[in-house]
Amino acid sequence: MVRRAHQQTSPSLWLVTAIVLIVLAGVGAFFFQKDNNPYRTVEVLKPADYLENANSLRGNIYQLEGVIAASLGSSPEKGRLFSLRTSQGEREFPLPVLVPPAYRDLNLQKGQRYRLKVRVNDAGLMEVEEMTKS
Amino acid sequence: MIFWSFFRVAFAAYRGFSWGVLSLESVELTVPSAEAPLLSGITLHLPGGHFGAIVGPSGCGKSTLLKTVAGILPHTSGTIRWRGRNLDEIDLDPHELGYVPQFTCAQPRLTVGENLTYATRLRRVGDAGIIRAEVERVEEETGLTDLHDRRAGVLSGGQLRRLGLAMELTTNPSLLLADEVTSGLDPKSEEEITGLLASLARQPGRLVLLVTHSLRFLDQYDSVTVLTEGRLAYGAHPSGLASYFHVPAPEDVYPVLGDRAASAWAEEWNSSPSELGFEIEATVADLASELTTQEELKTSIPGLHSQALAWFSRRMKLFTRDRSQVFLQLALLLVFPVVVTLFAYQGLPAVRNMNMNPDTDVVQQLRESLAFTVQSSRIGTLVSGLAMFQVILLALMGSNNSAREVVGERVILEKEKLAGLRPGAALAGMAAFLSLLVLVQSAWMTLFVRAVCQFPGDLGGQFFPFLMLTAAMTSLCLAISSWAATSEQASLGSLYLVGFQLPLSGAILALPDFLGWMIRPVISAYWAWSGYLQTLKDTRFYDLVRAITETPLATSQMATWVLTLHLGLGLFLAYLGVRRSDWR
Repeated sequence: MVRRAHQQTSPSLWLVTAIVLIVLAGVGAFFFQKDNNPYRTVEVLKPADYLENANSLRGNIYQLEGVIAASLGSSPEKGRLFSLRTSQGEREFPLPVLVPPAYRDLNLQKGQRYRLKVRVNDAGLMEVEEMTKS
Repeated sequence: MIFWSFFRVAFAAYRGFSWGVLSLESVELTVPSAEAPLLSGITLHLPGGHFGAIVGPSGCGKSTLLKTVAGILPHTSGTIRWRGRNLDEIDLDPHELGYVPQFTCAQPRLTVGENLTYATRLRRVGDAGIIRAEVERVEEETGLTDLHDRRAGVLSGGQLRRLGLAMELTTNPSLLLADEVTSGLDPKSEEEITGLLASLARQPGRLVLLVTHSLRFLDQYDSVTVLTEGRLAYGAHPSGLASYFHVPAPEDVYPVLGDRAASAWAEEWNSSPSELGFEIEATVADLASELTTQEELKTSIPGLHSQALAWFSRRMKLFTRDRSQVFLQLALLLVFPVVVTLFAYQGLPAVRNMNMNPDTDVVQQLRESLAFTVQSSRIGTLVSGLAMFQVILLALMGSNNSAREVVGERVILEKEKLAGLRPGAALAGMAAFLSLLVLVQSAWMTLFVRAVCQFPGDLGGQFFPFLMLTAAMTSLCLAISSWAATSEQASLGSLYLVGFQLPLSGAILALPDFLGWMIRPVISAYWAWSGYLQTLKDTRFYDLVRAITETPLATSQMATWVLTLHLGLGLFLAYLGVRRSDWR
């Protein structure tokens, strides 16, 4: 037995420390990284498909990410209509997105990047259900 | 009971390995850096109620022998027994051992009474009344009663040695080892300390060993052990010293030692018929007496909480008594946030948004876009920079908090651990003290900068990453401090740790993707910066920062998790660093 006045740290303790640290970091990354995208379980919208036949997507829910490009119109009852610049591969697509009156307080400005959860409504227009800055 | 104890001792004596309260059998100590062993073939048996001197010329291994008995230096072969038990199997109880090193363990800014009170609180269980009574007892025993309220920093050399002895006596140890405690003292003080040690050795069963270069006051010792080049040349009553070495006076022994090889002296002593010079019967009687009182002398060590509280209380007192430290902390606390606000003392600028009308003509749109890009660059850089500036200054404060916390007090820490201080208690005491600094620093930085620069966002959300960052940096620098060999090394290491935070955080220059994934996890500043900026997410400032930086921002939860890991890692490494032995 090592005497009390001569305590040293065994190499195995260092090894255990390193392993525990890596495991903790991994577990944390696994759980908290999910918060990066709160809509990760929702299908990603393919802009090309939407532009080709929006009506066929009616009632579906998608997620998409893009930059606000312009305000296309607004109405106190229906909300605000924006043009959202999205991309698929190398190509960019402007998509119309309706932000309902529930998000009236949100200061939406040109150039802001958002991640959206949208439902394609009966008119074939994408209506925001949830949105968060990305 | 006495009969039984006598029988046990007599049996041990019969077996021939334990006929002294302290027995060394063929003890050897070798170190890789030295060609010859530091100690070789040391066989020594010393009884209780005994005052022994270990003498010899410089470098002969006197202090080494004492440290080997204390367990500070691990002997490479042979056995050391205390009261018949092998110390390699069952070590000395903290209360059995009193070790007075050459350096002073007293805090110069505390009074004699305070030094003794804290030493007692760290070593003995008891309420304030018991602690006070114990302090009074050792003050009386060592003649320090009149100096109770005097600061240790103004004591004379002799008084300081008395204080060092008194601190050890708070546990009433049965083995008291004093290393050169009479060195450098005037003859009167030397005589007083030697006399004090002699009187302390009169307690039944107590063995006092003094390492000294001096051969004055030989009449005070019950035995003298002479070492030369790590070997035992003599170990018996001082009256036989001069005649054994065939010199006219004991003072002439040292020059004679050089006349022959150390091995020759050792061989001659080992073959001497009067090996010990002590009567075996007297030794056995002493030991029997000692065994009967052993359990009475034994007292328990305070719990972790009590020791941590005592350490914290002493640290707070030391901090408040050190004006330069208080001034430095205040200066950093007040100046650093002011420096940050110089860049936006009129508040953050307003953000001009672009026209969202799609019918705006192209030239106008380009003009607006250009203006917005310029603005993004200016305001985004300002906001990101202010966040990172706060982070770096808090990291600097964190490093300043703890870079010398352990290494600066290492010798005292080792001494206290030998006397029974738990490493966890010391760390808890340090952490409690540092937590106060961390709390004040991070809170003031957040509030002041927020108020002056008019930062929007959740106050609590901004404070928390800063609190965690300062705590993480403080704990990591505490770990560096606990593993560093010198204060300079610890300061430099901590400074490097802070210095790398800014360039590797990605706040100014984005790292290449693969490097970013590898490096960001260990850069605390990145996570605090990210966590802080996340609180601005609902504002335009966040958009502007995102527009100018390619470095991805972590979520608040992820930032908190990683900073918590950094904090935990720092504390754990600091615990290991505090726990390891590092006698210098």
